[in-house]
Amino acid sequence: MTIPRPYALLAEITYRCPLHCPYCSNPAQTRNDQELTTNEWTRVIREAAALGVLQIGFSGGEPLARSDLPDLIRTAREANLYTNLITSGIGLDDDRLGALRKAGLDSVQLSFQSDNTDLADEIAGARAHQRKLDAAAKIRAVGIPLSLNFVIHRRNIDRLSEMIDLAESLQAERVELANVQFYGWAFLNRAALLPTREQVVRAREIATVAKARLAGKMDIFYVLPDYYEVRPKPCLNGWGQRYLTVNPIGEVLPCPTASSAIPDLRFENVRARALDWIWRESESFNRFRGIEWMPEPCQSCPQREIDFGGCRCQAALLTGNAANTDPVCELSPNRASVDAVLRDLNSSSDQIRHWTYRVNPTIVPTLEHAK
Amino acid sequence: MQTPTIAGSAQPRLARGVRFQTDSKTGNSVLLFPEGVLELNETAQDIVSRCDGRTVGEIIHTLAEEYDIDAQVLGADVQETLADLQRRKLIELT
Repeated sequence: MTIPRPYALLAEITYRCPLHCPYCSNPAQTRNDQELTTNEWTRVIREAAALGVLQIGFSGGEPLARSDLPDLIRTAREANLYTNLITSGIGLDDDRLGALRKAGLDSVQLSFQSDNTDLADEIAGARAHQRKLDAAAKIRAVGIPLSLNFVIHRRNIDRLSEMIDLAESLQAERVELANVQFYGWAFLNRAALLPTREQVVRAREIATVAKARLAGKMDIFYVLPDYYEVRPKPCLNGWGQRYLTVNPIGEVLPCPTASSAIPDLRFENVRARALDWIWRESESFNRFRGIEWMPEPCQSCPQREIDFGGCRCQAALLTGNAANTDPVCELSPNRASVDAVLRDLNSSSDQIRHWTYRVNPTIVPTLEHAK
Repeated sequence: MQTPTIAGSAQPRLARGVRFQTDSKTGNSVLLFPEGVLELNETAQDIVSRCDGRTVGEIIHTLAEEYDIDAQVLGADVQETLADLQRRKLIELT
């Protein structure tokens, strides 16, 4: 099998975050371990560029929680990478933004929880909304391209139209309205987050109309809630094909949620191995690469190189085996497990359920400027 | 689909946040932008590398001379490529 080259690295530089969103895709349990140091990240970024990576996303947790973020962005720019910051905006004051811009930051994706302050702050578990509005204005003022990211779920989906209006008023180039995907904390809180069928149908119409209205002005990416689909999402464009993630403790993952969703797969660490070896040779990157691993009905399916059998993490979480067909697929023998969840929600009159807020893991922050 | 005609006096430039660079793995030119990479074919590379304040007319003229191709034939290609890049919001016309 020819090993492709990766295009994008997601650098999750810390799990620390001032927000407590109940849909966070970070692992709900993390091991007590140390964050990578500045020097270790510098090496990872250079190795990624040598491997063919062209885009880097600095994410987390909240990447601004690390004071060496400008250094890491500078390193990435020197390696010719396009640099994206994926942030809550908390902590983005004028000095910080100036330093990031000077380091060569290319683009910012700013998360929002709602257009409505009270609801947004309730979802985030923190008084964050006004600070995000301030951050958006600052980003706009310095002229860095701005995307707004909304995670959509049962509590905010009815405000889709207002959220699009907010993105428009903040003059974002792009808005991503992504229905929550159930991994990490979101999987734990699924009963409180999954929207009803009625909500989903309405939201889809609103997104379609807004997309047409704002064409050429603001790009709208509406990510469908996959439990309501009949075919699975083409996760990652195939396992180990284009993307890799390095998490705060140095594990290299084919998918950001793989370490918590697929515990029986052993993930290599950049502290022990070169990135090039991990991408090409490791068991974790090769297990689901290509089509040989696929079971039926995927193996003989004409869609197998279109949706790649869906999401390995979802298969693991819902069927107990990551090598199964994504149970969202109507052809999966396990589709009943998804239907049962939908039936339970849509037949119940009591749709207000409580969620558990995300807490920060007990991870040891690194001494960031240690040389 | 009919290609919309771009005025010869329009000045195409890379849109904000778009970077034009060489992919060291392939030696080909790419456009990098938030969340995306576009690999450019030779025609697109020739055009984008000249989106530096020159007008569409000037770009067509230079390329026609350089490759010794009829400017009218080449003009259609340039128009089509620019329209495509504009639709993807990778270039802006002023």
